Amino acid sequence: MTAEGGGLRWMGRQAVVTVPTEIDTINAGEVRQTLLAATSRDATVLIIDMSGTTFCDSAGVQAIIDTYNQAAATHTQLRLVATAVLRILTLVGVDQLIPIYLTLEAAQAGTPAAAASTRDPDDPE
Amino acid sequence: MAAPVSRAALEDRLRDIQSITDAALSRLDDRDLLAELLERTRAVLLADTAAVLLLDFSSGHLIATAAAGLEEEVRQGVRIPVGRGFAGRIAAEHKPVILDHVDHSTVLNPILWAKGIRALMGVPLIAGGKVIGVLHVGSLTPREFTSEDLELLQLAADRAATAVASLTAQEDRVAAEALQRSLLPSTLPVAGGAEMSVRYVPGEGRVGGDWYDVFTLPSGQLCVVIGDVTGSGLPAAVIMGRMRSALRAYALESADPAEVLARLDAKMQHFEPGALATVLYAVFDPGLDRVRICSAGHYPPVIASPGRPAEQADVPPGLLIGAVPGVRRRVVTVGISPGTLLCFYTDGLIERRDQRIDHGLARLCQAIKAEPPDTACATVMAALVGSEPVLDDIALLIFRRQP
Repeated sequence: MTAEGGGLRWMGRQAVVTVPTEIDTINAGEVRQTLLAATSRDATVLIIDMSGTTFCDSAGVQAIIDTYNQAAATHTQLRLVATAVLRILTLVGVDQLIPIYLTLEAAQAGTPAAAASTRDPDDPE
Repeated sequence: MAAPVSRAALEDRLRDIQSITDAALSRLDDRDLLAELLERTRAVLLADTAAVLLLDFSSGHLIATAAAGLEEEVRQGVRIPVGRGFAGRIAAEHKPVILDHVDHSTVLNPILWAKGIRALMGVPLIAGGKVIGVLHVGSLTPREFTSEDLELLQLAADRAATAVASLTAQEDRVAAEALQRSLLPSTLPVAGGAEMSVRYVPGEGRVGGDWYDVFTLPSGQLCVVIGDVTGSGLPAAVIMGRMRSALRAYALESADPAEVLARLDAKMQHFEPGALATVLYAVFDPGLDRVRICSAGHYPPVIASPGRPAEQADVPPGLLIGAVPGVRRRVVTVGISPGTLLCFYTDGLIERRDQRIDHGLARLCQAIKAEPPDTACATVMAALVGSEPVLDDIALLIFRRQP
């Protein structure tokens, strides 16, 4: 495992970006840059680790959406880890785009069953 | 080696600096300050012309905004693309440029060479680490600007940048507030059997992209919209205004709330790429006995029937507007009995940085009961805001079916 600046580290070809405790307009640009850089650097899987994040405002959501759109272009598989901000991410529908896991280990394993929330919008509940 | 500087020369220079940094300038309003500053800059540098061009972020052009001895630049609305010509190069490279030779090969703006300007010196205006414009002075006689001249010009540019940043912030705030006031319905439509009350509070005195809308359709249906555009200030207010009118237009065309939001989404992705917004759209039947609700990333309303505790309506989360093309969202139908109240709100009401959202939601549910909307609005604002400073915008709309 190699540590790099901006919360990016690599585990083989899996990149993990650790998001700060709070993400808002002040630091969302920096987080976005780190995430976008990771998608363009040959990662097969990018894990957005928000397990330590307790506050995420719309600027944070924007950074994740931008990452999603770029990852689609670079064919990088995205996974997300969240607990405290799970509710807000589910509310805005991020879980419909990116599988969300409760722990980093589950995200690394990538087993669909471990997903905390991956509701299909067409599923009639 | 530099020649010894005489005491008289030093005193002259000090007077020049004072002329530009003069505290009395601050008593002028920002627009007059800019004009006076250009006049003084021209005088202390013994230059013939001085001009400020400001960067228009949406077009990437520098636009002539104030001038002394070169008024035609402003009157003719000169626009210079960043990266091209003399001023464009200063803005692109964030550094001063001095030209001893002025013609069409070095200067894009024909006014400058047609006027007979022989030498030019320009510096970037920088505020908050970003280039916001360019200040330049010109000479009608051949001249070599010195490093001392450049220092004085940079000093004037710093002063101008502060004035411009403050002017822009003021103008944006006034415009955003005026826009917001003109777009939020001041009187709510009268719909038989519906009672409504609203509150809107800008965050920290700064208007953002929260909005609500209420209108009726030719079918007699009553529609309620509440939404929140990412960002704040004038850009968010402008996008909010466009979304509001687009949604009204699509509401006339389609009876399906999900289809209305899908069209709004497609419109936003095409015309406002990069903008994100949450929107909740609710369509009440003419008799008000049921409401169909569709959410694009927005908090579901809290619903309270007489004698029962309030709870969040079970609205399936849908992806927010502006994220990904071609998404379908689900619509939920909720029955409404006489006396039932629905509370629509934006995140500023329940989100606090130091608390979990569930806590804010629980407080909201506790505060709400099926009472007249005016009373309910007052109760909710007192319980959730009280006398705390409001950091994020709050929009609140409470509907009640007459008991």
